[in-house]
Amino acid sequence: MTEQTSPARRTPWQVTRSVWYAMFMREAISRTMADRMGWFWMIFEPLAFTLIMIGIRTYIRGVDRFIVNADFIPWMIIGLMGFFLVREGMMRGLGAVNASSALFAYRQVQPFDPVLVRHFLEGMLRTFIFLIFIAGGLMLGVDMAPDNALMAMFWWISMWCLGLGLGLITSVAGTLVPEVGTVIRMISMPLLILSGVIFPLNQLPHWLLEYLMYNPIVHGLELLRLGFFEGYQVVHGTSATYFWMFTLITLGLGLLMHVRFQEKLKAK
Amino acid sequence: MIEISGLYKRYHRQRRVYDWVLEDINLIIPKGVSVGLLGRNGAGKSTLLKLIAGMDTPDRGEIRRHCRVSWPIGLAGGFQGSMTGRQNVKFVARVHGGRYNVEDIIDQVEAFAEIGDAFDEPIKTYSSGMRARLNFGLSLAFDFDVYLSDEATSVGDRAFKAKATKAFKDKVGQASLVMVSHSEGILKDLCQAGIYLKDGQAIWYDDINDAIAAYHDETDAAREAREANGATLNSAAKPPATKPAAKQEGAKPAPAEVDIPDELTLPEAKKQLRQRKAEFDSAKADFEQAKADDLIPRERIVYGDALNAARERLHVARRRVQALTRLRREP
Repeated sequence: MTEQTSPARRTPWQVTRSVWYAMFMREAISRTMADRMGWFWMIFEPLAFTLIMIGIRTYIRGVDRFIVNADFIPWMIIGLMGFFLVREGMMRGLGAVNASSALFAYRQVQPFDPVLVRHFLEGMLRTFIFLIFIAGGLMLGVDMAPDNALMAMFWWISMWCLGLGLGLITSVAGTLVPEVGTVIRMISMPLLILSGVIFPLNQLPHWLLEYLMYNPIVHGLELLRLGFFEGYQVVHGTSATYFWMFTLITLGLGLLMHVRFQEKLKAK
Repeated sequence: MIEISGLYKRYHRQRRVYDWVLEDINLIIPKGVSVGLLGRNGAGKSTLLKLIAGMDTPDRGEIRRHCRVSWPIGLAGGFQGSMTGRQNVKFVARVHGGRYNVEDIIDQVEAFAEIGDAFDEPIKTYSSGMRARLNFGLSLAFDFDVYLSDEATSVGDRAFKAKATKAFKDKVGQASLVMVSHSEGILKDLCQAGIYLKDGQAIWYDDINDAIAAYHDETDAAREAREANGATLNSAAKPPATKPAAKQEGAKPAPAEVDIPDELTLPEAKKQLRQRKAEFDSAKADFEQAKADDLIPRERIVYGDALNAARERLHVARRRVQALTRLRREP
């Protein structure tokens, strides 16, 4: 529709790169420095959450040995971290477009940019926190070292991709239809249990499992745990193919939605 | 040069489709010519500016920008409220790429904006004048060929207006300006040509004064129509029986006080009215300015008096026009 020609014209890729750089710097500063003790809460919040969950779990059932070849505490920490990675991707997507609406005054900035940048930053921060947890666990004598580090890293990045796909969709849907945000916030808590983060899904009856296995987070988490614990028994029906099919479809759909609704998102 | 061909724009909100804001606009804004955009509120001035800036896309038609065009410099948007002025400037400098040195731009903007320590405070604590200063200074730090200004100067104080005007005059030859403003002084000062928007149509005037005159004709016509309406309504609302005495003495007491110089004709009176309107506007702007500058009351009173005098003169001129119009209608 519109084009610009001038002697010193930047290529679209150069423009996009400088937008990403600028956005990343501002997001990084506002995420970590804007709140009071932002850094402290970033690490303390998941830590406190993990401790509370472990407390509840051990109080209800005692430290059980239902999980084959995996200690309960590292099993749950990995589950929580992986789950948060996906859930935060979804949640950050919701507010990303509206929070950056002032910046669409510069035609270089597109609605897709804040979503990607925020998600990338979120992934980096989560990775950093996870590494701190692993290091802390090792120092406390909890066996947090991954047995198959390459596989663990691959599935960690895969989980990040799933979060990105979901975040792209929620960023468009949640901005255009605000009710979507409410629904997503509502389902995020039951999803924590349904994804097998706190209780192993192995013990559930088969008819129920058939439905639960439609949730791609379960597949991702089980495979991530398999990277950490040699000989870990994944939930029956875990499939890397299903996970990646789901991820690629959400990524594709999210990108298409951004292309289709770009102008509407900017006008909001 | 900016080419606009066959441009249509309308807004869709919540499944409602509104009328065309801009309808079949065909314009060429030549290189180096500063243009003032005129029109009533809601005529589509800001929409056209946004479209030129590439912030929004047209429903039909296209805009070709053969030069570097700034974002619309104005009051709304462009800054994130929770970040400081410095951080916002840094962001924009980075978005505009490696051609510019970020530190140089920050220094330049800080020097131009002259907002002191507030530069490191969050934007949401700024007054509208401070925002305008920052936004304006920021846009000047980049070498655009065309600057788009949406009432950017209207909230600035006198020193800032003078500075902004000077900055643009310095850029003559390198850059031009497309500006929306309701202050005619600044339009006449900075622009050569004018675009007058009315009912979705754009009319190009080679001389900004012609565009301003066309704009005035429209507003005057609208006011006359409204007053004519009001007069008929009044006479309908007041049954003649209630005030027979007044009717005998003269139906309209106010116009009776108007002294009309003998040689004054209706067009002259209209011209006078227009002049006095302009005087009144500038007096009002000065007064607002004085208020904004926090002058002490003793100094401010001068502007207040001038404003009152200008208002009085304006009213006299308007009454004369009304009386003459009436005379012509019922000779």
